[in-house]
Amino acid sequence: MFSVHLSEIPRTISFRTGLMFLGLFGCSFLALFGYIYWQTAFYLKTEADTALYRQVENRSQQTPQLREEEIRKHAISDTEGRLPHSLFDENGQYIVGAIHQMPTFKKFDRPAEFDWQKSNDRSRPVRFIAHKLEDGKILLVAQDMHDIGEFDELLVHALVSGGVLLLVVGLLGAIGLGYSARRRLDKLSDSIKGIIEGDLSSRLPTLGNNDDIDRLANVVNSMLDELERLMSEVKGVCDDIAHDLRTPLTRLIAGLERAQRRGLREDEYAASIDSALTEAKGLLMTFRALLRISEIEDSARRSHFAPVDLNLIGADATELYEPLAEERGISLAFHAGMQPTLIAGDAQLLFDACCNLLDNAIKFSPDHSRVSLSVISDATGVGIRVIDNGPGIPEDEREAVFRRLYRSELSRHTPGNGLGLSMVSAVARLHDMKLAVYDAGPGCRIDLLGKQTHETA
Amino acid sequence: MTHVLVVEDDNSTAREIEAALQDHGFTVSRVDNGRDGLLKALSEPFDLIVLDRMLPGGIDGLGVLTALRAASVSTPVLILSALSALDERVRGLRAGGDDYLTKPFEFIELTARLDALSRRRAEPATREPDNQLRVGNLHVDLLRRSVRRGDRTIDLVPREYALLEHLMRNAEQVVTRTMLFEAVWNYSYDERTNVIEVHIGRLRRKIDAEGEPQMIHTIRGAGYVLRSPE
Repeated sequence: MFSVHLSEIPRTISFRTGLMFLGLFGCSFLALFGYIYWQTAFYLKTEADTALYRQVENRSQQTPQLREEEIRKHAISDTEGRLPHSLFDENGQYIVGAIHQMPTFKKFDRPAEFDWQKSNDRSRPVRFIAHKLEDGKILLVAQDMHDIGEFDELLVHALVSGGVLLLVVGLLGAIGLGYSARRRLDKLSDSIKGIIEGDLSSRLPTLGNNDDIDRLANVVNSMLDELERLMSEVKGVCDDIAHDLRTPLTRLIAGLERAQRRGLREDEYAASIDSALTEAKGLLMTFRALLRISEIEDSARRSHFAPVDLNLIGADATELYEPLAEERGISLAFHAGMQPTLIAGDAQLLFDACCNLLDNAIKFSPDHSRVSLSVISDATGVGIRVIDNGPGIPEDEREAVFRRLYRSELSRHTPGNGLGLSMVSAVARLHDMKLAVYDAGPGCRIDLLGKQTHETA
Repeated sequence: MTHVLVVEDDNSTAREIEAALQDHGFTVSRVDNGRDGLLKALSEPFDLIVLDRMLPGGIDGLGVLTALRAASVSTPVLILSALSALDERVRGLRAGGDDYLTKPFEFIELTARLDALSRRRAEPATREPDNQLRVGNLHVDLLRRSVRRGDRTIDLVPREYALLEHLMRNAEQVVTRTMLFEAVWNYSYDERTNVIEVHIGRLRRKIDAEGEPQMIHTIRGAGYVLRSPE
């Protein structure tokens, strides 16, 4: 399924990076081996030269007779001609030794090289020193360089084959890397294509080793989570709006048609106009609340966040709802947070959120029960907690209640538009807070908690 | 007669506003763009200006407002806007607006706010010299923060006192729930339940004792009004 064309590999970043490293490594390889080669060759030549000088020294200290004798003997014993010595007269005419022909050289006592034509028609590279003796004769001391040349050749050989091996392995590695990168990217782009085509539930594959691509894929995946949530919410909202607003609109139209059809008395007309107005205002309020939520979700609002004291806001909201609770015999308590409760936020929105939570709590609590609003400020975070003794929210509805216009079976018959908790949830998201519903056994506990921003030192 | 300039580009909205204001007893002049609005406001004396925030042409509501204030025209301005964001409101008020109303709004809200604005403008002249507020036999001492009705001293909690003070300052005029909420709680009102009604109910039980003529009246679907019983 994920076949990769060879022609695509050279375009991958991994392949190019592989090649780049191969080039860099090749250069350092050349430099290193070149240096070793140069050092070795230099060392061997110097060694040879030192030996040649030593022999010149030895020979020049001998008496002329002994010297001639020794050279003759040496020529006989050194059959292979590894260290040939020769003696020539002042005119360069051969006297004695292995080398019969005086080679050309520029200067006395300076190492030079020549190809020695041996009697058996083989030529050997030879390094030599010519020395003028006190009696005017010329001493030639030489060394066969064939072995050293051979060693040099071996070294160059090793270098070249090593380099070729390096090149092949490096190239294969780069191709392998490019191939696997290409394959992985193909998988990623295939899943992205799938997502573009509408499968919002699919996610980018990850290896779990948290490498670069994994990290990128994880970020994209969390973006997709948010996108999916928003998309499903938009769809849900559209459905819900259509559904929820149809009912009051139908009622409104039916009422107006009834008024139009029947010959009504004046007070009956007034009554139908009143009920039409009530329906229309209710619709307007729902729209206003919807607009407000989308406005809250526009996070540009964060730009004017200011330090806000949750204790102050909680106290204000509780004070506002106190008479309402009292009317129903509900005891409404406020517990301020002990540690600093300053957060960066929008006071109006946080106040509205508290009011919505309190409103719900009081609305759904039986008469003569308890409702409390506490400001939390501890290791778990900073936020607001509202607890009531109402019927609670069934576990399977605890996510759904934050959806716009969602109304649980229990709340169908209480006034409201199903937007209160979605508004709180929007405020929570704007403030990077978490809104969660728990069981208060009996009743409901709602936490609006943000991360602790200050150092609790 | 209060003369109001309405600067609103949407024709049908402008017509509705005009009708509502005329019903309320205001005389209305209407223009549909910022430039004409500015020229008219500079050339004629108006008691109030209703200014749309978004206007076509070169100069929008805030531009008109800034120019007016720069020309030291101090006519109270109520800004109408479809933008409800809090910072929009703050920007409008900072540019010299006296009040801010978000569309869609109810006309009773608009007229009540305009009443309050025109009253606030007239207030310095009629201000009680001795820090007293008086409506009928209801009497508030602003310094001692004490309230009496006739001979009866009334104990109010701070929030009730603030509510009463606001109603007294706008006596005989409709004060909407939103206006009360903004004035007394300092938050903008997100229409919810009957929480203000309960607060007013408590205040009313203290002000209008049994047997006494009622002073705090509810205007259905709008707000409240404090009227002298005489």
